[in-house]
Amino acid sequence: MTDADLRNVQKLRKDIFLTAYSYPQGASHLASSFSIVEILYTLYMKGIMRYRPQEPWWPLRDRLILSKGHAGLALYSALCMAGFFDETVLMQYCKPGSKLGSEPKMHDLPGVEATTGSLGHGLSFGCGVALAAKMDGLDAKTFVIIGDGESEEGTIWEAALSAVRHGLDNLTAILDQNRLQKMGTVKDIIGVDDWQDRWRSFGWHVMVANGHDVDALRRAFIAPSPPGMPKMVVANTVKGKGVSIMENNPDWHYKMPLKREMQRVLQDLEIDEMELAKCREPI
Amino acid sequence: MQRAYLMELYELAQADRDVVSIIADNGTGFDGLFKDELPAQFLDFGISEQHMVAAAAGMACCGKKPFLYTAGAFFAYRAYEFIRDDLCLQNMNVTVVGNGAGLSISTLGPTHHTTEDISALRALPNLTLFCPASPLEVRKVMRAAYLINGPVYIRLGMGGEPELYNEDYDFVPGKAVQLAAGEDITLFVTGSIAGEALGAARTLEQAGISTRVVNVHTLKPFDSDGVLEAARDTKMVFTVEEHNILGGLGAAVAEVLAAAGCGKRLCRIGLEDVFAKDYGTLATVRQANGLDAAAIAKRIQKEINAIGRRVTP
Repeated sequence: MTDADLRNVQKLRKDIFLTAYSYPQGASHLASSFSIVEILYTLYMKGIMRYRPQEPWWPLRDRLILSKGHAGLALYSALCMAGFFDETVLMQYCKPGSKLGSEPKMHDLPGVEATTGSLGHGLSFGCGVALAAKMDGLDAKTFVIIGDGESEEGTIWEAALSAVRHGLDNLTAILDQNRLQKMGTVKDIIGVDDWQDRWRSFGWHVMVANGHDVDALRRAFIAPSPPGMPKMVVANTVKGKGVSIMENNPDWHYKMPLKREMQRVLQDLEIDEMELAKCREPI
Repeated sequence: MQRAYLMELYELAQADRDVVSIIADNGTGFDGLFKDELPAQFLDFGISEQHMVAAAAGMACCGKKPFLYTAGAFFAYRAYEFIRDDLCLQNMNVTVVGNGAGLSISTLGPTHHTTEDISALRALPNLTLFCPASPLEVRKVMRAAYLINGPVYIRLGMGGEPELYNEDYDFVPGKAVQLAAGEDITLFVTGSIAGEALGAARTLEQAGISTRVVNVHTLKPFDSDGVLEAARDTKMVFTVEEHNILGGLGAAVAEVLAAAGCGKRLCRIGLEDVFAKDYGTLATVRQANGLDAAAIAKRIQKEINAIGRRVTP
């Protein structure tokens, strides 16, 4: 990863935190958002997806569907960096009249391709998009980010079967394998530590990558799949990545730091007091 | 009705290559038409109704016009969240066609009945909800659905329903239609049980009770004005449906009458918060559950007598 990459992903993490912090009354899914920063960064900023920020609904665009919708903060930050809208929009988060809630809503913001929030919908939705592209002979690619906790939902596997059956080699699913869910580890709750073999057995072309290494992700995204096989990139990630007290700690699924925890958080994210105060200013 | 559905869909698909016929291992028996003639506009997702609905939303997002077909129970119950979140919340141009309306899948028992679907679906914002009563009405409803740019649910019967209309039937989406004139009571119906309602009306006429039968083929948007007009014209209001009396047609009529304060007494005929019983033909199952013409007429007569009000001149 270049220095620029490191600065940029840190910027995304900062934006995620400041956006969440701008809503004083409640918590956010910070940790789930932090684990997919490099994935989104690589897709949008390292030449993987084709899109036009000034023409967000360009019919030939590639699409990203955030099936694990609770990581909406990460998506908003990435879309902002990609030029779909400017930073002032982020500060509307959860304010009255805002288009930005915790879970993204289709078309409410340029670049948001699907309304997600209830888990297990996005991969099926992505299959539909990929199918339509095939039916129309388009080159467009579809990317869907799913979670490992989310993999407990049955419809993920309906979609897994269907994508292979319909030869959706224009579909790439990315598993944010951070190994945690809300009440504990995925291994503890459902008995699965690594999902890659299951995807292989369903007939997907599976690549495994360090989910925080932009170069490794990039290689996984551009590696060709055998014709007719959808691709699954299993990204090994850390929930809460970037903030030491959050990393790998299920307690951080849905909360904001307490006063005594803030110093550590601000230090890790390189946020100064002025930036912090600014995001609480009335718009 | 299945035949009417598929034939109309085929015509639409021939004229518009974005129309896609989608099933879930549960076709009409006429799907050969699509498989042989328009294979590029046909998909079978297998027994995965939730996936089917979400995938259809994805296709609609790209300009396709999916028509989904399977047993209504699997749409309205199993895939309800997907209809809600993927179709209604995102206002996607998808038509969901649930067959086996009411008790019309009559040999498989209540898992295949749709007797709470109207109640559940009525409450979904952005949804248009049709419940056609005859094959011709199915065709009209399909045309209307095609023209609506948003989610539509069609509650379809199975087969063998009698035709209730002439070829020149002027179907207007959202406007209830009078099937029989009458001055004493109004009987609102929805779906193919309209045939039974007409039978009941004939029996009641003979007993001197002039019965207006009104078919509410569009449950959403609901024809409140049409319902109120008929209610005001007559002395008492009845509804009959192959559905729980909670939340369905009867409830929709009750909402309108109560809000208008029109003061007309309402009696809802349907399943009284029970699952339907028995197996057999639709005719015998209706009989077993008090929903055939004779039972409807008897119930109406009983209600009128109980009120002790003279409704005959």
